[in-house]
Amino acid sequence: MKLELQKGSRSKILAAVVLSTMAVFVGRLFYLQIIQHGFYVDVANKEQVKRLTIPAKRGLIYAMDGQDPVPLVMNQTVYTVFADPQTIKDDAKIIDTIKRIAGGNARDGLQALLDKKDSRYQILATKVTRVQADKIKAEDLSGIGFQEESQRVYPEGSLAAQTLGFVDYSGTGRYGIEDKLNDRLTGKDGLLQSVTDVSDVPLTIGNNNINKPAVNGDNIVLSIDRNVQSHVEQALADGLKRTGATKGSAIVVDPQTGKIMAMANLPTFNPAKFNEVTDPAAFNNGAVSSPYEPGSDVKTLTMATGIDKGVVTANSTYVNTDHIQVDDRTISNATLGQTGTITFQHALNWSLNTGFVTVAQLLGDGTNITRGARDTMYDYFYNRFHLGQLTGIEVAGEVTGTIISPDEVDGNAVKYSNMSFGQGLDVTMVQVVAAFSSLVNGGKYYQPTVLAGVMDTNGKYVPNKVTSSPSNPISASTASQLREMTHVARSTFYSGVDKQGYYTGGKTGTSQVVKNGGYADDESVGTYLGYGGSADLSRYVIMVQVSGDHKTLQGARDALPIFTDISNWMLDYLKIQPKG
Amino acid sequence: MSYQRNQNFSSRRQQNWSRNQNTVAYVSAIKLGPVTHTVLIALMITILGLIYLTQATRATSYDYATQKIDSQIAELNTQKSDLEIENNKLNSLEAAKNSTVATTMTAPATTTYVQQ
Repeated sequence: MKLELQKGSRSKILAAVVLSTMAVFVGRLFYLQIIQHGFYVDVANKEQVKRLTIPAKRGLIYAMDGQDPVPLVMNQTVYTVFADPQTIKDDAKIIDTIKRIAGGNARDGLQALLDKKDSRYQILATKVTRVQADKIKAEDLSGIGFQEESQRVYPEGSLAAQTLGFVDYSGTGRYGIEDKLNDRLTGKDGLLQSVTDVSDVPLTIGNNNINKPAVNGDNIVLSIDRNVQSHVEQALADGLKRTGATKGSAIVVDPQTGKIMAMANLPTFNPAKFNEVTDPAAFNNGAVSSPYEPGSDVKTLTMATGIDKGVVTANSTYVNTDHIQVDDRTISNATLGQTGTITFQHALNWSLNTGFVTVAQLLGDGTNITRGARDTMYDYFYNRFHLGQLTGIEVAGEVTGTIISPDEVDGNAVKYSNMSFGQGLDVTMVQVVAAFSSLVNGGKYYQPTVLAGVMDTNGKYVPNKVTSSPSNPISASTASQLREMTHVARSTFYSGVDKQGYYTGGKTGTSQVVKNGGYADDESVGTYLGYGGSADLSRYVIMVQVSGDHKTLQGARDALPIFTDISNWMLDYLKIQPKG
Repeated sequence: MSYQRNQNFSSRRQQNWSRNQNTVAYVSAIKLGPVTHTVLIALMITILGLIYLTQATRATSYDYATQKIDSQIAELNTQKSDLEIENNKLNSLEAAKNSTVATTMTAPATTTYVQQ
């Protein structure tokens, strides 16, 4: 029996062929459009839909200029000029143009770079400004491209470099504020997902478009005053030159708020050229990251402890023999000869170690630094003055230092006798400044801060709200007595160097340096810690530290003149009215 | 006379026809064949397609215009930033210290204060 097809007409055969062909097409289309639907949608989306990152702008950093913020760190759009050696046409013109316009930003050996014909990407110049890039573009060079990037610029140069830190090549903050507040400064990148044309121009067709704007980083305003900072850096540089010290740090703080007005360290660096720094130690903010034995500056805190506990006053007396026995150790004064029955004010004036060991003993049973005395000192030094703890200042690299507890084996009477005059403890300058501020502001401890506020999106300065109240490590009466004692200590020897009509005070410090497990004979750190203002209000606290390898530096001789320079300038800058 | 319901449906139109014998239905003499219908439908589809394409193209042209404006905004923002940087450099302390005005300044010999 014949099949229908075999016996059918030609039209039937044609119909069968067409239907068969159609069936093949339908089958294929069903496979592509239904079964493989997801796969081809993905392929099409990859081809047509682009996910573009909208980069967030890194926040700017401002300093104060009196009452107004001024930018210290800004962003600038710069360009990397690159060539495709396979498509360039006129080597000579390219080299001439790049050298003429990019100048020092052009790379060396341009001809050799252009000769690398196996490469499609050779960088010819970096960090080219917009104006330079526009000039190069105007030359209409073939095979030349531009890559846009953002870089930090510093209108004030190296001012407050260690406080600011810098931003590395990956866009991450390093050191200082840039590191500590990296998340706040970075912001959050946005996302643009859209169908694009061949030139990557986003088109509004399609159903899966996403337009999530970038959230720019916070524009942060520091409490650093650029004028104070500049003068402090200059005074410190002059001081180092005068004394031969190789390292120096200085802090100026408002004792009524805890806000840092200046924080300087030498040697310093230019954050715009951080890659050229040969010694990374220059990046460190020594005022917060280099603990040291503070020496005689701490005598003010020991005295405050004694007065606050009611065991001593400025006019209380003790018998000074220039030596005092603590267990098996004999502690001597650095300055000899002030022997006999003397007041503690006299001991502070002459910075006599025996006086402050006596205070420690008076905190105990009167002749021994008992466990009770040590607990009291630890309570004041650690819990109340926050020595040996992070202050929480908003710059990277802060370290705690060390205050040995009486609970530890090393926390014995000898250790605490040393601590009473500034040895046997490691603290940072910012800890000491914050603690000392409470002695001259009525007994309030403010957490030191470098943040003053933010600039809002309209460019308006919004000061930080006060969120926590200060603690009270000592009574207002104790603070008042200490303020007077340090005023007397300064005016006894150095009144002639201060501007008349103001109220200043301070304490010298000369610290021995521990090297190889013992105190080095050929090296010491000189510090001066003091305040200034009117008789009824301290307006600033300044701490200066100078040091150097194999340098014996002293507080009175080397650090005090720097303090005086800054202090006298501050009195004018703050427009404080003199009295008398 | 009694009224009886029946099961036969008659439409209102039929009832009207029965009631008004002069009702007239006009029928056009022109008749559209299947080819004409097909052509007309094809034309309508084409016109709708053209309208769609016109709108889609217009939307895309807006995208290009938007992109151009965005580029101009970005360019102007970059110029503004550059000018701000230049302004701050010119107003920096270093620039002030090195200015001709600053270098010719002298320290006051005496200072007096207004008594408060």
